[in-house]
Amino acid sequence: MTKYFGVAIDDIFNSMAERFRPEGAADVDVKVGYDIREFGKRKLVISNRKMSLEKTDDLSDCNAVIKTDERTFVGVTVGKIETMEAIIALKFRVKGDQGVLALLPRLFLKLSTQEKDVKQEQELLVLKKVISVKQKFATGPVMGKFLKGLKEEKVLAIKCPECGRLQSPPREVCAICRVKNTEWVEVGPEGELRMLEYCYYASPDPLTGETRETPYGAIGVLLDKCKDEEVFWHLLNPAHLDRVKMGIVLGEKVIKGTRLRPVWSENRTGSINDIKYFEIAE
Amino acid sequence: MRSNAMKKEKDFDINNCYTISGKLALPYTYFAGRTGSTFITHIRDNKKIMGVRCNHCNKVFIPPRQTCEKCLSMISDNWVELENQGEILNYTVVRYDDNHLPRKAPFILAMIKLGKADTPVIHIVEGISINDVKEGLKVKAVFAEKTTNTILDIDHFEPV
Amino acid sequence: MGHRKKNRNVGIVGIGETKFSSHREDVNQPEMINEAVRDALNDAGLSIDDVECVVHGNMELFEMIHQPDLWHTLGTGAYGKDAYRLTTGGTTGGTLVAAADNLVASGMYDVVLAIGFEKLQEGHTTGGITNMADPLWARKLQSGALTDSAAVKVIAEFGEERAKRAAMTYRIIMDKHACLNPNSHRAFGLDWDQMDDLIKNSPPLIGNLRLIHMCSQSDGACAMIFASEEKAKSITDKPVWVRDHICIHREETLNLCNNYYPNQTTHKFAAEKLYERNGITDPVEYFDVFEMYDPSAWWGMDWIRDFFLLKDDEHIKLIENKDIMIDGKIPINPSGGVIAANPIGATAMVRVAEAAKQIRGNAGPHQIPRQVNHALASSFGGTMWTILFMLEKELNW
Repeated sequence: MTKYFGVAIDDIFNSMAERFRPEGAADVDVKVGYDIREFGKRKLVISNRKMSLEKTDDLSDCNAVIKTDERTFVGVTVGKIETMEAIIALKFRVKGDQGVLALLPRLFLKLSTQEKDVKQEQELLVLKKVISVKQKFATGPVMGKFLKGLKEEKVLAIKCPECGRLQSPPREVCAICRVKNTEWVEVGPEGELRMLEYCYYASPDPLTGETRETPYGAIGVLLDKCKDEEVFWHLLNPAHLDRVKMGIVLGEKVIKGTRLRPVWSENRTGSINDIKYFEIAE
Repeated sequence: MRSNAMKKEKDFDINNCYTISGKLALPYTYFAGRTGSTFITHIRDNKKIMGVRCNHCNKVFIPPRQTCEKCLSMISDNWVELENQGEILNYTVVRYDDNHLPRKAPFILAMIKLGKADTPVIHIVEGISINDVKEGLKVKAVFAEKTTNTILDIDHFEPV
Repeated sequence: MGHRKKNRNVGIVGIGETKFSSHREDVNQPEMINEAVRDALNDAGLSIDDVECVVHGNMELFEMIHQPDLWHTLGTGAYGKDAYRLTTGGTTGGTLVAAADNLVASGMYDVVLAIGFEKLQEGHTTGGITNMADPLWARKLQSGALTDSAAVKVIAEFGEERAKRAAMTYRIIMDKHACLNPNSHRAFGLDWDQMDDLIKNSPPLIGNLRLIHMCSQSDGACAMIFASEEKAKSITDKPVWVRDHICIHREETLNLCNNYYPNQTTHKFAAEKLYERNGITDPVEYFDVFEMYDPSAWWGMDWIRDFFLLKDDEHIKLIENKDIMIDGKIPINPSGGVIAANPIGATAMVRVAEAAKQIRGNAGPHQIPRQVNHALASSFGGTMWTILFMLEKELNW
C-alpha cells in the first residue's frame, strides 16, 4: 500500500472506529460518502452516537459525497495539504451538504502520524488587530477643480498642450511629454463601456474598513469627447452587471460597448462619491 | 514673487484646494514565534520573567530573541530566569492621550534593569507620583489578573 | 539610455531561501529572515563579519509595521554595518538585487547581503495593495493586483477557447514545475485531464481571472550575497555573474485598463533596450532559462511575447507545444514561478536566485537537465514596472 506523508490510506479508514468521538456525535445523523480514485468508495454512517463504515458502490443516499484522489485525501486528513487549496484546484470536492466538512473534525480524533514533533505542541501566540488611523488628504488645485466640477454634475478633463491627450481624473503634468497640463475640457458625462471588472471578490476598503458587497463592477468608460485610452474609472450599477457589453478596439476589430450615463448622488460634496455609479443609458 | 506666480496660472487656482477626510483601516496578524510565545506564556502562566543568554557575547537579553544580533548565534535554548524586580535606569512621563496608549496621561514609562539582564525592559510604573519617580528606584512586577497574551500580562511595576 | 558600463563585475556567491508557506506561526519576522540569512552565509561559506553592507526590503506596511528593518537587525546581522532599506512594491526583490549589484559594481563595497522578505499572513495583501492607490479616486475602485484586463485582451485577440486553454496549460505547467521544487508554497499536483474542469469550475475572482490562475500569498524570505569579481572568485568556484540589469517604470494614469492600443509596454521596452545593448538578436535562442515574475497565468502567458520580442501567436505556440517546460526548448519558471510561491518582498529576488541556482547546476529536483549558461530573470510591480536581469555562467562578454 502506498504511503503519502508517511501514512497509508488504510491507516485512516481502519482507525476510524477507534478514533470516533461519540460525545461529538450527540445530535448528528448523517451519511458521508467517500469516492476516492484508486482506492474505492466507502460510506460512513453516523447515527445515535454510533458510527459504521462500509465498503459499497452505492452512495446515493449520502448527505454529502467527498470526491478526491488518494494522495489528496491522505494529505488533507493529516494536515499536510490545505483543504482550501485542494478545493481551489478541484482535487477535493464535496457534493451535497458542504457543512459536512466542518462536522468531521468534531467526530474523530486526529490520526497520530509517525512524525511526533514535540515542538509542534507548544502554544504559539497569534495577535489579531485592526489598525485604524485617521487621515486627511489634500486635493491640490488640479484634483480640487475636477472634484468641484462633480458637485456641479460636470466631468472635467485636463489636456496636454503637446500631445493633446485628455486625463480624467486630471494630473498636473503629462508624464509622457513631461510638461504641465494647462487646458480644461468638459467631457461626457455619458460614454461607452470599454472595460468591466466583474468582481466576485472584495477586500476591505482601507478608507472605511468595510468590505463591498459582491459581485460588483469596476468599469472604464470612454466618455464623449475622449478617445483611445482616455477612459474614466468608476463603478457600475450592480443590477446591470450582466446586461452590459464591453467595447473593444484591437487593431482593425472594433466592437462598440454599451452606452452608459452617470447617476449623480443627491448630496454632492466634491468627492468620488458624487457619482453613485454608472448605469445603462436607455 | 510667489503670489504673482499663482495669479499667472489661473487654472491652478489655490481656491480649488481643500482636504478630504479618510482613514487607513486594515486588519493584520502578528505571530510571536516560538521564542516570543515562550516568553509571554511564562509570564502569563508561571508569573516568571525569562531572558536568554548569548554565551559567546556573555550577555543576557530581554525580551528574549532567537539570535544574538551581534554574533548571529542561535541563543533561544539558553533560557535564564530573571528576578521579578529591578531598578529604574531611566524614565519618561507620557503626558498625552491616544488610542494606542496603555494608560491615560500622565503616566510613567521606565527602562527597568531586572537583575542579571543586560538589556532593560520598558514598562509602566505605577504607585508613585510622577514628581517622585527617579533613576535608581527599586521596582517589582505586578502581574495582570486578566491576561491578553501580550507584555501587559505584567500589568505594571511598582516601588518595592 | 543613461547607463554606464560597470566599474567591475559582480558575482552571486551565496543564496538562501526559506520554505514558502502560509503557516509560519512558529517564527516572528526577524527569525524568519534569519533562516534565509544563515542559509545564504552557509552557502557562501562566509560569516556575518565578512558582509560589509546589508540591503533590506519588503512591501511597506504590509505587515502593518513601518520600517521593519530596524527591528529586523535581530535577524539580518545588520548590527553595526552600513544598511539600506528599499521598498518598491512588487519589484522590491528585484530592486534589492539591482541595488546590491550597483553597490558592489561601484567599488563602494566588496560584499553585500541583500534580503527580501514578506510575511503576508500577518497582513492583508489586497487591502495593502489597494492602499497604494490614490486616496481621492483610485482607492475606492482598485482591487489590488486582481484584474481581468489581461484575460480580456488575450481573449479578444485569440478567441475564448484557445486563450482559456493556453492560460490553463500555462498554469498546469507551472504547477508541475512547482511539484518538483521543495521550497514552493503551493503545488497542487494538477493533471492535464483536469483542464476542462478547471476552466469551467474553478471559483472566479474577477471576470475570467479565477482563483486557480492567481498567485499565492506566502510567507518567506530570500537572502543573496553579492561580491566583487576578485572576491567572488576566492569565495566560491561557482560564482554566477550578473551581466546587466535594466529598470523601466512607466507613469500610468488611472486608465491602465484599456491598453489594447499599440503602446509600448514596459516589458517590451525593457527587453528591447537590454538586448540591444548586449547584442542579443534572438532571445529565445540565447537564453537557457527564464525566471519570469508572473503574478497570474493570464499575465504570464501574455508577457512571454513582450519579453522575447515575439510576434502574433508565437508565444501561445510555445505554451501549446510545451516548449516552456523544464525539458523544453526555453524553460520558463522551473521553480514554479510566482503562482507557486509569492512572498511579495522576496519574490522578485527569488526569481534571480532560482535563475542563479539553475546556472550553478544545483537547484535541486527542478534543475534543468541541460547545461545552463545564460539566464534571464524579471521583476514586476505596481503599474507595470519592470526590471530585467541577465545572469551568466562565464565572464564572456
